[in-house]
Amino acid sequence: MSGGIARGRLAEERKAWRKNHPHGFVAKPETMADGTVNLMIWHCTIPGKQGTDWEGGYFPLTLHFSEDYPSKPPKCKFPQGFFHPNVYPSGTVCLSILNEDSGWRPAITVKQILVGIQDLLDQPNPADPAQTDGYHLFIQDPTEYKRRVRLQAKQYPPIV
Amino acid sequence: MAAAAADEEELEPLFDYSRVQPTIAFSFDDTDIENSDIFVHCNKRRKAAGVDGDANPNGGSEAVQNADTAPRAAAVVDLGEEDWLPPPPPKTKCTVRPELEESSVLRELRLQKQAMAKFAESADDFLEKVVQTAKQKVQARIPTEHIDLDNSSERQVENARQKVVITIQDKAGQQQFRIYKDEKFDKLFKAYAKKVNLSLADLTFVFDGDKLDPASTPEDLDLEDEDMIEVRHK
Repeated sequence: MSGGIARGRLAEERKAWRKNHPHGFVAKPETMADGTVNLMIWHCTIPGKQGTDWEGGYFPLTLHFSEDYPSKPPKCKFPQGFFHPNVYPSGTVCLSILNEDSGWRPAITVKQILVGIQDLLDQPNPADPAQTDGYHLFIQDPTEYKRRVRLQAKQYPPIV
Repeated sequence: MAAAAADEEELEPLFDYSRVQPTIAFSFDDTDIENSDIFVHCNKRRKAAGVDGDANPNGGSEAVQNADTAPRAAAVVDLGEEDWLPPPPPKTKCTVRPELEESSVLRELRLQKQAMAKFAESADDFLEKVVQTAKQKVQARIPTEHIDLDNSSERQVENARQKVVITIQDKAGQQQFRIYKDEKFDKLFKAYAKKVNLSLADLTFVFDGDKLDPASTPEDLDLEDEDMIEVRHK
């Protein structure tokens, strides 16, 4: 029963996260209206790295785990229309370590996923574009790209 | 004279005591001023008794020498026993001058010296007892006090209030705090603010992305040992 494996692993991931995680990050399983916890969906926050145009932004990210986790990676989604060359219009993040056919390994932790996505924010991969808007500006108009990134960071101020 | 010599030989155990004394002093490691005072006094007196004992065998062999040493010994004892023996010193000083002719005076002097030595010995014994009882009291009191403290805190932890270790993380690093599970975060926040030397108003404490209410407790949030709270500076 693979579902048991996924939930067991996720419970461990959650336990480890509570004890230690990088500053500014949030990662917690979804809590249902009746108070029960759904370990298969995590609501996370990724802080923009200091010293970059992303600084000051706290970007919401949702991790969708399947019953096949950790054999298969979770689907990681920013809000729809998130501005970044490697984020699909749906908000899904395109990153090698999140692709089961390339970089994903079952040993990769939630912490590593989130830190990996934080790195991706400031270091887009132009070889693997996922949206036209962000990709074109990044390639053709760095100044406008910068402005858009800073604008977006302001759109996601810290919740607290 | 022979009897006196025998008596004086009986005094020899004093040396054994003085040899034993250092070990007592060694184990007597409390730094309490009162106790160290006792210890110092005791040492002085022991030295005095030692000098006394040194003088005695000489005195036993030769009367003249004894007469010379008697005042010295008396004077030494007097130094040690100032508050114990007010009368003897003047007497011995007086008897020193006509001593050569009058053997009765010598005898009296020696008897006096013996009495004094015995008194010094008993004083030493007494002091030793005092030191030992004081030591016992100190030794008995301190450990039990500690155990009492430990017990009481243990009992509190077990019975009434459980503690939880909470990690507070800021950008620079982590610090751990131990608080009661049913204690409001307010106290922890204040302690942290004081430690980092920042105003509480400039700090925001966050758990799982939510701001912590200072009026809530670790219990309310089901916090476990070493759970991490983040602090953000405004």
